[in-house]
Amino acid sequence: MQVNTQEIIISFTLNGEKVVKNVQPNWTLLDLLRKKLRVRSPKEGCLRGDCGACTVLLNGKPVNSCLVLAPKVDGATIVTVEGLKGDPVFEALKETFAEKGAVQCGFCTPGMILSAKYLLDRKKNPTQEEIEEAIEGNLCRCTGYIKIVEAIKEAAKKLI
Amino acid sequence: MTETREVTAERGPFFFKRELGKEEGEYKLVGREIERPDAFSKIMGLTKFTADRLTEDVCFGKIVRSKYPHALIKRVIVDEALQIKGVLAVITAKDVPGENQIGYAIPDQPLLADKKVRYIGEPIAIVVAENEYAAEKGVEAVKVEYDPLPAVFDPLEALKPEAPKVHEKGNVALTTIIRKGDVEKGFKEADVVVENIYYTQRQEHAYLEPEAAIAYPEGDGIRVVLCTQSPFLVREFVSRVTGYSQSKIKVIGAPAGGAFGGKDDMGPMVASKAALAAIITKKPVAIILDKEETFVASNKRHPAIIRYKSGATKDGKLTAVEIEIIYETGAYANRSPFVLWRATVHSAGPYVVPNAKVDGKSVYTNKVFSGSFRGFGDPQIHFAAEQQMDELAEKLGIDPVEFRLRNVLKEGTRTVCNQLLEESVGMEETLKKVAEAANWKKKREELKKYRKGSKVRGIGVACAYHGISTSRGVPDWSAAAVLLNEDGTITYRSTITRLGQGSLIGHAKIVAEILDIPLEWVHIEEPDTSASPNARPTHGSRGLMTGGTAAADAALKLRRTLIKLASELLNCDEKNVKLENGKAFCALDPSNKIEFSELAKETYQRGYQPAYYGFYFVPRRYFDPETGLGVAYCVYTYIANIVEVEVDKETGEVKVLEAYTGADVGKAIDPGLIEGQMQGALAQGIGYAISEEVAFNDGKIINPNYTDYIIPTVKDVPRKVKVVIIEKPYSSTAFGAKGVAEAALIPTAPAIANAVAHATGVRVRNLPLTKEKVCFKLKEGKK
Ligand code: FES
Ligand code: FES
Repeated sequence: MQVNTQEIIISFTLNGEKVVKNVQPNWTLLDLLRKKLRVRSPKEGCLRGDCGACTVLLNGKPVNSCLVLAPKVDGATIVTVEGLKGDPVFEALKETFAEKGAVQCGFCTPGMILSAKYLLDRKKNPTQEEIEEAIEGNLCRCTGYIKIVEAIKEAAKKLI
Repeated sequence: MTETREVTAERGPFFFKRELGKEEGEYKLVGREIERPDAFSKIMGLTKFTADRLTEDVCFGKIVRSKYPHALIKRVIVDEALQIKGVLAVITAKDVPGENQIGYAIPDQPLLADKKVRYIGEPIAIVVAENEYAAEKGVEAVKVEYDPLPAVFDPLEALKPEAPKVHEKGNVALTTIIRKGDVEKGFKEADVVVENIYYTQRQEHAYLEPEAAIAYPEGDGIRVVLCTQSPFLVREFVSRVTGYSQSKIKVIGAPAGGAFGGKDDMGPMVASKAALAAIITKKPVAIILDKEETFVASNKRHPAIIRYKSGATKDGKLTAVEIEIIYETGAYANRSPFVLWRATVHSAGPYVVPNAKVDGKSVYTNKVFSGSFRGFGDPQIHFAAEQQMDELAEKLGIDPVEFRLRNVLKEGTRTVCNQLLEESVGMEETLKKVAEAANWKKKREELKKYRKGSKVRGIGVACAYHGISTSRGVPDWSAAAVLLNEDGTITYRSTITRLGQGSLIGHAKIVAEILDIPLEWVHIEEPDTSASPNARPTHGSRGLMTGGTAAADAALKLRRTLIKLASELLNCDEKNVKLENGKAFCALDPSNKIEFSELAKETYQRGYQPAYYGFYFVPRRYFDPETGLGVAYCVYTYIANIVEVEVDKETGEVKVLEAYTGADVGKAIDPGLIEGQMQGALAQGIGYAISEEVAFNDGKIINPNYTDYIIPTVKDVPRKVKVVIIEKPYSSTAFGAKGVAEAALIPTAPAIANAVAHATGVRVRNLPLTKEKVCFKLKEGKK
């Protein structure tokens, strides 16, 4: 990442805690999280918005953090899986992903779960199409998605 | 040719039943689906992939790559790069202290190109800097002066005498051969003969996690952490390149974010560069490829051109095949000798063919090198073989499943290499069960109704077989260690790596089953060449079969020790001692018992050996490379896929609606993990069949990212996938297990092509089945 440029001070909420940080204007949110704040669940996959491995919730919505510039998150709320302990939707997904065997290498998993959580937060009983829409931006090269979709359906059932 | 067993080990299911004194139904872990013990840490992002281990003190290495597909290197000018703040070193070929050679089977590939570059993206220098940014600037500042040479991009062009030579010895890296029976006679006996040419493309692994390695100078040695499929192979290469003895190199196999063969080939190459950089700068150095570099410079699935002629009698018996195989290896041979031999010895598909003439060639071009990729040469050859089967069936007016059943390999039959199959041959049962699950007969008729309008449907079948472990007489073995701790827990060590497939979980289940203890008591250590026995690579679907059998060997040795000890402590005859649920007791008086933790303590107190090394040497027999006849593999996994597709005749779009995939896996140690492997392989096969193709323009890859190289999303996989598991145990391995990781990918593309032919009446013999190709074929009509 670039050095010797004007730093900017930003403050935001990360997983429920207030963070104040000097950032370089060209850092991405993913750089900031992984390299400066040591939050490891968002992964560096393609770094160009194609794979979803870097997904985080920005003001509640899933975004590819590799495409968001760090200064843009000033005043925002960021959530990663590290901050979801006790959240009923997340806990349900966590259980069903494990039960259904929806995790193989696990590189896509935190991002996938955040996209699924955003869906289940809004839809109690999602259709197959809605599930597919929700995770279409999260690539998985290991599972063939079958067990991931099953796990999301099962989590929805558990939450009713 | 001799057919006596030179090395053999009887370890199959009967052996285990006898040894453990249990019926299979009584097994607590083996054969049952469990929840993965590593799921939660992956969900929470706690699993430490290589890049997750970066610390502030680690420097970065970035690679200067060739801009030409074929050129002599006149000069590499590094001065300007060295002026950049933060740049510590620029490493070129002349700085390599050991051998500048990373060819896998043939010594044709330098770690850093010195005299000549042979593909766009070939590594020339490594810039090491204190931070990533400086390293990137350094790469831009290195000037390479080239003398461009004429390049060759097409394997058929490369075979012409006037073609530019990629390597001095010429453009044929190697040849393979099978001569069995008399093909002329075979074709004379045939009532129908079908001859076609098939083309398959380059496929990229496209794992989400890029290749990465971090090397740390440590004392007078070096430690390398990386995502790899073979820590010991990495050690061998690092030793060769750095000149360090193997004992001074410690390689840790970090969990990988997908591998699929790619990290088998790339691991040693990336690790060797990181190690070199760390040794030269005396600092920890990370080399992490970006996604574009992965696309441009990592190995790919071999593109193939296959001319295939086959004949059958009117009662549906195959009489002969004549096959010419060209596999394009790109700039370097890498794994080609193994890939091409695998394709050759599987070239007739899982069928009895009395007469065969097969010639294989691996051809150099000025493109990125080919190499290992799930299926390892078998998807290409089965794409051809299985469409041939459908065309023969059609000409004969026999149902495609029925036609296959008349020819399938069974126990007591011989393969195209004349290998006598003595056991564990489940092709017939697998095909029958998959056809039953798919409701084949009914569907095949019913779908004919979907012939009107622009969207038509069809159903197609394809079979495959896939030898496990190494081919021909190449030795293969595996090892593992089981250590009983004083509190009764187990420390388990193996260098089979964690790619997401879960082999080590299978090993732990085997150990826990044999000792009859809870799975949680078995702790799996991180693969480490300085501490773990050499389990050899995690490839060829061998991780569970060979590694798990070594684990069983170690666990059985410990079990026998514990039984002996318990007999002493309980004052009970050894044959009456039972190990059950973490206890030992005397069968004659179950109240006469001892807890496992006590037993562990006593092992140490009474001087019994608490740790065991397990070893497994895969049965080997004779293979003659001059005729291609003999025992090609010790055992095979048999696979059948049936898919239902919808083809949009206007757009040419092919959509897989349903899929049924089955495999004879020997023994399912964990049906859930197998299902996961089969579903994932199927999806990768669908990508291979329909959308994935590495595209070039004058040797330059023009789609080096997920925007332009399309892998399946959730919307591209069928909503209905049924996995069928068949168990025909193998007598040489733990509980009879064979391998499964690659299986389902192999017959996926031909099953789809056959389904498209059923739906539309036209046949596409050129992968992938893109919209354009399907449209073109439909316009061209039935040709
Ligand atoms: S890493 Fe951000 S989308 Fe791939
Ligand atoms: S589990 Fe490996 S990418 Fe999804």
